Amino acid sequence: LHIIMADLDAWLFCLRLLGARYAFEAQLVSEVVRMGPLTRLPSAPAFLPGVFTHRGEVVPVLDVQQLMGQGAVAMTPNTRAAITQCGEWKVAVVAEAIEGLVCVPTAHLDPAPGSAKGVAEFLANVARDPKGEIAVLDLNRLVEVARARSVPA
Amino acid sequence: MSVAYASLLMFQVGARCFAAPVAAIARIHKGKPGSDTNPVQGTALGTPLFGKRGLTVAVDGRNRTLVVDQVLGVRSVPAGDLRAMPAVAGACLRSRAVTGLVLLEELLTVVVDLEALIREADASAGPKPDPRPTEEMASHAQ
Repeated sequence: LHIIMADLDAWLFCLRLLGARYAFEAQLVSEVVRMGPLTRLPSAPAFLPGVFTHRGEVVPVLDVQQLMGQGAVAMTPNTRAAITQCGEWKVAVVAEAIEGLVCVPTAHLDPAPGSAKGVAEFLANVARDPKGEIAVLDLNRLVEVARARSVPA
Repeated sequence: MSVAYASLLMFQVGARCFAAPVAAIARIHKGKPGSDTNPVQGTALGTPLFGKRGLTVAVDGRNRTLVVDQVLGVRSVPAGDLRAMPAVAGACLRSRAVTGLVLLEELLTVVVDLEALIREADASAGPKPDPRPTEEMASHAQ
């Protein structure tokens, strides 16, 4: 019974952006890191504020707020990022705050609004838990849009 | 067991530090590069603040000089400290002259292909006006 119940739950990794709750599928997030010194890259778009080393590996930072056309996440010594794996690509998604793992019954997952504009463009689902709504981000879509918007017209 | 090293010239444009393979650099100008050096000012690395140094590079058989603010010296770096640009970042950069990164004192510095950088700057500046007179100008002159 426990296994069957587990299949009916969705595990999300929740973080705070634009003052609201956002999440990725938990399996895409490997760890949370405190941001070290960033190296800015020449000719990088605003949503790619730089790279840093983590365990000897170079990790690019993605500012999802900027990709959504909103203001940048403030970078302070306390700023944290969730390291995510999108296929073979690893990116650190910087956040205002990290909430952590959240378990939501799949019955409480709704399809994303069908709009192709604004934040809705990046959503996979909308989840609900006792604390309220969680916008579940589509990491593949975020990376695809980041690449597409970087190609000069 | 021998360790391979890479020689990198460290330089500064504005407030930011960059590295480039020493082998690509034909000459370092100690003063402000003059117009006879075919100077290149604005590139993907930014525009120099004072431009008191220059790095001369052969581009398509012609010497060109990248104007920079400071030359910080040459570093011999173990090959293991060189890092490839992460795929996501590489795909998002508008410049192809950024070839990788080097880990120096636990900080990453951008490694640049100077030849590619100057070519890109030339391409973004557009075609230079042809100094030869057009047919119309030639007929007016007659």
